[in-house]
Amino acid sequence: MDQVLAILIANIITNNYILFKFMGLCPFLGVSKQTKPAISMGLAVIFVLLISGIMTWAVYAYVLLPFHIDYMRTVVFILIIASSVQFIEMVILKISPILYRALGIYLPLITTNCIVLGVTVINTEEFFSKGAPIAWSFAYSVLQVFAAGLGFMLVLLLMSGIRERLELADIPEALEGLPIAFIIASIMGLAFMGLLGMKI
Amino acid sequence: MADKFIVSSSPHFVKKESVASIMWTVNIALIPAGLIGIGIFGKAGAWLIAVCVFAAMATEYIIQKGRRQLITVSDGSAFMTGLLLAFNLPAHCPLWVGAFGSFFAIAIGKQAFGGLGRNIFNPALVGRAFLMAAWPKYLTVFNKPFVYDVVTQATPLSLLKEGKANSMVDMGLTYWDLLLGNKGGCLGEVCVLALLLGGIYLLYKKIITWHIPLSFILSVAIFTYIFKGDPLFHILSGGLALGAVFMATDYVTSPITKTGQVIFGVVCGLLTGVIRLWGGYPEGVCYAILIANTLVPLIDRFVKPRRYGMA
Amino acid sequence: MKKLLREFTKGIFKENPIFFIVLGLCPTLAVSTSVNNAIGMSAAVIFVLVFSNVIISMMRNIIPDKIRIPCYIVVIASFVSIVEMVMKAYTPELDKALGVYVPLIVVNCIILGRAEAFASKNPVLPSFMDGLGMGVGFSLALLIISSIREVLGSGKFAGYAIPVAFEPASILILAPGALLVLGLLMGGIKWIKSLRS
Repeated sequence: MDQVLAILIANIITNNYILFKFMGLCPFLGVSKQTKPAISMGLAVIFVLLISGIMTWAVYAYVLLPFHIDYMRTVVFILIIASSVQFIEMVILKISPILYRALGIYLPLITTNCIVLGVTVINTEEFFSKGAPIAWSFAYSVLQVFAAGLGFMLVLLLMSGIRERLELADIPEALEGLPIAFIIASIMGLAFMGLLGMKI
Repeated sequence: MADKFIVSSSPHFVKKESVASIMWTVNIALIPAGLIGIGIFGKAGAWLIAVCVFAAMATEYIIQKGRRQLITVSDGSAFMTGLLLAFNLPAHCPLWVGAFGSFFAIAIGKQAFGGLGRNIFNPALVGRAFLMAAWPKYLTVFNKPFVYDVVTQATPLSLLKEGKANSMVDMGLTYWDLLLGNKGGCLGEVCVLALLLGGIYLLYKKIITWHIPLSFILSVAIFTYIFKGDPLFHILSGGLALGAVFMATDYVTSPITKTGQVIFGVVCGLLTGVIRLWGGYPEGVCYAILIANTLVPLIDRFVKPRRYGMA
Repeated sequence: MKKLLREFTKGIFKENPIFFIVLGLCPTLAVSTSVNNAIGMSAAVIFVLVFSNVIISMMRNIIPDKIRIPCYIVVIASFVSIVEMVMKAYTPELDKALGVYVPLIVVNCIILGRAEAFASKNPVLPSFMDGLGMGVGFSLALLIISSIREVLGSGKFAGYAIPVAFEPASILILAPGALLVLGLLMGGIKWIKSLRS
């Protein structure tokens, strides 16, 4: 139970993938200008994460490790991720073409979103030991990818609210656009650090 | 003579309030807590306040001059940021740390967003969070009250966090001590009575409403009560009084609607409780408010005010 | 010859991947806590960027357009795997310090971006220079950010303590500090540019 809570809090807040691991910054900066696309992007990323997370875990545990080809991890994982993104693209196109068009280029860009490859690789480092999965490895892995996605969506959502409000602000020219976005992310990170060391 | 006429469209209401009058009223409300803080911790506190306030105002002046904007330093908002930052620091904090914090608070926390009214985060708390991350050792050493030499004493909340004392009896304090300020802590947060009096003054002057302070304080009390803490102890400890009355109520960084304000207060309170009871830091008011600040744009977006003509 | 040189220099200044095109941020901020890590990461990125640009340029007429992105990714991923294995074998401390950010070079937008924007449309030698230029530009930006963070944040440079007249601000070693430094640097560069024009 402790481990579950630790994973949730770490991935969503205190070790948030955008604010502390710097993964997913490109879509974060690109899609965080308005709330609606931010929510859609967040959900799309969570979905891709779940699919890729499960598949990469399975492939790592049952194919790569037993055949001692875990050095192929990077290549295999990225191919799995690219395929998941293709799949999700097709699903979204079928369900809601408007959403598909709204997300535009950012949907295929989920492939290069550091978060997906990042957390799947981190799973293999954290939840495997000496060439075999640890106890509850699969459950923790799925939980971790889900929490990472939630954290991504949370920060994206908060940022979109803030940036919408700042549309009308008189920001110094040099800081307009990306610089102030980084500064805001920095302060958000400082604020989230308040929840470090959580122990229930 | 012509510029004594204010030309505007209806409704032609005229109120005596202006940005400056509001800011300076709040500054006046903060004076008792400041004076008592200096009385409790010594003249180091006076120097800290002076340096923080001066640095804040100087930073704002220089930046506004550099951007060729109207100089608004006399409106009292930079003064207030400096004052609140000093109140959130230990009295014997080195002066350069305070100055740097003020600079960061005004330059990054306020002016980078476009100046008064545009910032998302409470500037004084931005300064404090920055200092806590940059030079933590100066922000975590507190002094024994009424001993003007530098003799350290842990604050009640840090004693609680480290498990060194589980109740006020262990700490050798009474509720009166907590209320009046006979305890270790930051310069302006210890005398809860002075802060509450300042708050009542602000309520009387209609500068703040009860929504945020009450929901904030009540949430902390209820949360700590549910999880077996001592609610009265928690209300009277740490930066809660200072935060709930003076920092969470900042117009710019809190929601516009009353409902939104109550939500904001509850979020602040819950986060404070969570950090105090389960987090790594002994006190969480500063971080709770900053995190809640990030929610304010969304709260304002989704909590719509009641429209005229609608039921 | 001059054209080749221009492909090289544009990556360093005009189209610096970090400050201007704003790509490849993940590794930048994460490894910029120390100059040594920065140098290690720069070397890895230059290697992958140059070789993948070259290979993709060589294959540009063979790869079918519809599946070009997955093909590029496979090429890039292979070179990254090579880097991973070499690092684990010869520089294990660097590998540990860079951690998960080594495999993440695969999704470093700079590499895929250059493959798509340049290497797929240009012959081998210009692609080589482009990759080299972008890589050097990336490294330069990374080194600037790391120097600032390491010196101001911990009073050291490349691991050696330097006598500083101020107290290091540990915030710069932390994640929020990285975002702050990047934001302020970008703002500063924008401002200097606006002064010139």
